[in-house]
Amino acid sequence: MKLGKWYVPVALGVILGLVAGSIVSYIRPTPTTEGEQAVSGAFVPPGKKDEYYMFASGGHSGQVYVIGVPSLRRIRTIPVFSRDSATGYGWDEESKKMLGGYTWGDLHHPALSETDGEYDGRFLYVNDNANNRAAMIDLKTFTTKQILGPIPNIMGPHSAAFVTPNTEYFMMATRFSVPMGGKYASLDKYSKEYHGALSAQKIDQKTGKMKVAWQLKLPPWNYDLSDAGKKISGDWAFFTTYNTEEATELLEINASANETDYLVAINWKKAEKAVKDKKYEVINGVKVVDPTKVEGIAYLIPLPKSPHGVDVSPDGRWIVGSGKLDPTVTVYDFKKFIKAIEAEDFSGTEKGLPIVNFESVKEATVKVGLGPLHTQFGPDGYAYTTLFVESAVAKWKLGEWNVLDKVTVHYSPGHSSAAEGDTVTPDGKYLVALNKLSKDRHLSVGPSHPENMQLIDISGDKMKVINEAPIDPEPHYAQMVKADKIKPIRKYEKDEKRPHSVWKKEDVRIEREGNHVTVHGLAVRTRFYPDKIEVNEGDKVTIYLTNIDLDQDITHGFAINLYDIDVEVQPGETKKIEFVADKPGVYPFYCSNFCSALHQEMQGYLLVKPQK
Amino acid sequence: MGLKRPRMSMRSRGLILVGAALLVISIYFPWWGMKLIAAMYPEGLDLLVYPYKLEGQLDTINILNHYIGMREIHEGDFPEFQYIPYAVWGIAIGFAAAALTGSKGLGYVMFGLLAIGGIFGIYDMYHWLHTFGTQLDPQAPIQIDPFVPPVVGENQLANFTTYTGFKRGFYFLILGTVTVALGLWGDRLWNEKSSSAGSS
Ligand SMILES: [Cu+2]
Repeated sequence: MKLGKWYVPVALGVILGLVAGSIVSYIRPTPTTEGEQAVSGAFVPPGKKDEYYMFASGGHSGQVYVIGVPSLRRIRTIPVFSRDSATGYGWDEESKKMLGGYTWGDLHHPALSETDGEYDGRFLYVNDNANNRAAMIDLKTFTTKQILGPIPNIMGPHSAAFVTPNTEYFMMATRFSVPMGGKYASLDKYSKEYHGALSAQKIDQKTGKMKVAWQLKLPPWNYDLSDAGKKISGDWAFFTTYNTEEATELLEINASANETDYLVAINWKKAEKAVKDKKYEVINGVKVVDPTKVEGIAYLIPLPKSPHGVDVSPDGRWIVGSGKLDPTVTVYDFKKFIKAIEAEDFSGTEKGLPIVNFESVKEATVKVGLGPLHTQFGPDGYAYTTLFVESAVAKWKLGEWNVLDKVTVHYSPGHSSAAEGDTVTPDGKYLVALNKLSKDRHLSVGPSHPENMQLIDISGDKMKVINEAPIDPEPHYAQMVKADKIKPIRKYEKDEKRPHSVWKKEDVRIEREGNHVTVHGLAVRTRFYPDKIEVNEGDKVTIYLTNIDLDQDITHGFAINLYDIDVEVQPGETKKIEFVADKPGVYPFYCSNFCSALHQEMQGYLLVKPQK
Repeated sequence: MGLKRPRMSMRSRGLILVGAALLVISIYFPWWGMKLIAAMYPEGLDLLVYPYKLEGQLDTINILNHYIGMREIHEGDFPEFQYIPYAVWGIAIGFAAAALTGSKGLGYVMFGLLAIGGIFGIYDMYHWLHTFGTQLDPQAPIQIDPFVPPVVGENQLANFTTYTGFKRGFYFLILGTVTVALGLWGDRLWNEKSSSAGSS
């Protein structure tokens, strides 16, 4: 009896515990959902490498982010339109000259070079929506090698940042129509004197460098996005427009009035021929073709409700337009389009350009969901459309035109990027949603939020979010390329004939010519030669610095206290630094990039003697 | 040659020719090498010594060595590179001449030269290792005790483990020497076993 007293509460406790445990485990079955699947599907262990490089635009950071997929680790930031003290970009003479006095850019759409419609891993082209420039990054060194522009006659080239299937051209088109040639015209003359333009930059196949080749003069609309044709549509390019209403104020309302805007189809081969046939006028030094005067270059296709993205299927046949204020994507058949223009099946003209009969070229309307923006492709005809308003990605099928699956993303995706998604043979497997909002998804860092990338496994019937990472503002578009296609160098080769390089301390010299002091110096673990530079106040100083440490990852920096100078010199590289010694006094210079055990000792003095 | 000796068998002459060829081949492969491995150099840094040149990541090794005050290693500082290839060629030609003329005496002379050269070579190797390892700059940023890395073996130097040893060229050299020796003295062995050996 006495014993009965104590075992009752014990037994009750055990029973209650078991019941509670089973209820809890019933409510939350096991933690094997998202989290654990993510670990198995996207985890790249230490010492292992990612399968893909993803090149994401950095938006108004003016940079390109290099991201590994599936880990979503940001491997590197490539400065393009903005200075970057971490790599000394913007302080040495070469990068300073490239930046041309601009301190930022709005980098929107990266385009990898292609051969026969496949990424070939040679170059990356990007646009600057703010200052009408285009830039080229050499993927041997992952550095910006050219900034072209500001290019005349275009303004805010948001659209048409793509390369043609064999990297013949990198194209860009106006987002904000303005009077061409930098002229002034008041806004009430918008419809007559303002114009859009498409600028075609010819690419040198050896160096990857661009030159403005020709432009097309277009109606005063806003050209938003674009895609190059592929295979059968390889000679063509497609642009979406908004504000065909030609409003100049309160565009939010006034540019959303029309039921349809246009998809503009451009035959760039015909435009190229028109230039050859001298059917152009020269505006601001650029050959400009007016497609209303040369037949066969430009056609308009109606597209519902302020469209945003346009994407061409891998086989080049289907052109997918997204009406951002309409829950559908409209799919056009390129073959029907060719038939229609051959039969002159037009419903009218606008601004002198023929409008192709909508019903004759439309293949399907797919009800994907709210706020469709951009479409990427997998193999076997699957398409993936981001839904900004619905905060989801819809999977649907070409030819069947039905939605098969939807996955919620966090939150509000803009573009997405599929593995080799913009090529003629996408890989499938991975899709990264580039979400514009992250809200509560990461540890809070105050009011300014990071963007949010989410990796979606698209290998099965059902899409699964398997990884997630925050990223600085703000990736718009990204392209994902198989890692083995990129073959970077590990260091610069020792080139003793390189002008101004010195490789032996015996060759180091400081020379004066009038009030110009030139230094030919070198950096080596862990010294600078020379480590004393004496100049007079007001002297112009030019320093050529060669890093003779021909050893992977032994980068030296060169920073001068209070002189606002910071440059990085990679192994085997020579950099040119120039400044006016306008502040008298003693200014240490030092290696700003940790290089070896005696890095702290790697320093010298700039002695600026005051004027009497 | 005025040496009057019994002439060699065809087999011996063949072996000596082959041996001479192996000696020449050996010149064009590294004879000795050093590999330095550290945590941040997982693939290692190589220093390869040919009879006439140095190869490998010499620049990097020199830069690293300056921390301990070791003299820079430069090809031009080794006068041996100027004559070792000629000496080997000379000995090989001597052997070839011995094989063609069948002169055993010439063969013995050449073998003597080869042996002297070999002993000198090993000594020379040790001499340089001793020089570089012990004549350290007393003002170097990192002070370490003088050391002599082994001609063959493993050594620990700060964060580097060094592996030293003979390379392919040296094995050709040994093979060539053994082949020549077989050619010179092999007849005795074979003659003891069978009396029908040697025809000319
Ligand atoms: Cu340094």
